Amino acid sequence: MPYAHPEYLVDTEWVAQHLDDPNVRIIESDEDPLLYPIGHIQNSVQVDWFSTLQHPLRRDFLTKEQFEEVASKLGITNDTTVVFYGDKSNWFACYALWLFQYYGHNNVKIMNGGRTKWEQEKRPLVKDVPSFARTTYSAKEADKSIRAFRDDVFKQLETKKPLVDVRSLKEYTGELLHMPNYPQEGATRGGHIPGAVSIPWAQATNEADATFKTPEELRALYEGKNIKADGEIIAYCRIGERSSLTWFVLKYLLGYPTVKNYDGSWTEWGNLVDAPIEK
Amino acid sequence: MSLPSKLQEIVDDFAGMSRDEKIETLIGYAESLPELPERYKEERSQMEAVPECMTPVFLIGEKQADGGLVFHFDIPPQSPTVRGLAAILATGLNGCTPEEIITVPADFYTPMNLEEAISGQRLNGFRGVLAHMKQAAVKAMSE
Repeated sequence: MPYAHPEYLVDTEWVAQHLDDPNVRIIESDEDPLLYPIGHIQNSVQVDWFSTLQHPLRRDFLTKEQFEEVASKLGITNDTTVVFYGDKSNWFACYALWLFQYYGHNNVKIMNGGRTKWEQEKRPLVKDVPSFARTTYSAKEADKSIRAFRDDVFKQLETKKPLVDVRSLKEYTGELLHMPNYPQEGATRGGHIPGAVSIPWAQATNEADATFKTPEELRALYEGKNIKADGEIIAYCRIGERSSLTWFVLKYLLGYPTVKNYDGSWTEWGNLVDAPIEK
Repeated sequence: MSLPSKLQEIVDDFAGMSRDEKIETLIGYAESLPELPERYKEERSQMEAVPECMTPVFLIGEKQADGGLVFHFDIPPQSPTVRGLAAILATGLNGCTPEEIITVPADFYTPMNLEEAISGQRLNGFRGVLAHMKQAAVKAMSE
């Protein structure tokens, strides 16, 4: 059984063969922003989930116009194949890919295994930051079919449709809010959205080389918790980064047609007055 | 309350740096963080874990003959930001007494303006590491 949409994945060798391909832009997106300046894949550019992709003022992403500016500066055209890779099993690479899709860039791929696998294979990393000729990128209107807002989550609760909580088990049970001497930042209440099943994001990846698990393993993991292709699924975590990896897995590796990422996630829900919580 | 002088010096240095200099200096700190001494490698369990960080961080405060504390860390090389932040704290506070360590304000790093280099979210780790260094200091006071 192959992945449902294998065209959304490339391996490290594919990337090594396309370092100078003018139709390909390689983007590093990490949890740790110092990794890129220490060493990155030749001709790759850095996109930081926070300083590059978040709105400077509101809690939101860049606007369409701001996104066009970022893409243009990185020398990306509407036809460019954009390949994302990063640390921690491509967790933030998936976040960046999700946002590119949100603004209609569909020609996107994840380098399976990310930095971990690239480094394990002793492939070269460089410090030179490339610059590419500016383009005029034109984004589409935001694709809200892949993004859930809090009202969508309330509707999801009413209609008893599936929710996946991809945080660690201790965050799901609310235990992490009770850390002595250190109130967990971000939410005033602990627990999870009622009815959400716990499938921590990292279970979709292999710890050894940060690649995704096989289609069979993934299907067993999600179907085993009743997260199936015919469900309209919403995934969430703390701020929507880890759940973008789960979104990628469900949508492209398993081919589920309707999957949304709730980027408000626990830092919104756990602070929302009158929102139901389960522990 | 003033900061221990070495830590104050680091804070002042960062305050005057450009964004690129901050990144470069943080990388320098990350690379300078010493390896965990052999004697602790087998006993990481007696070290304090810092669960606020996205990466596994262990630290231990070692009491010296003069009453000062020296901190050792175990943080993977794949997490240079947390390593850099821990190295700043170690450089700034090593040799300080537990009393000096527990009075370091939790927001001491505000003038460093690190947000422009690594974003505010990632400073949670900074606060987490400091909080656990303080716990180690409190423990040392009661020993």
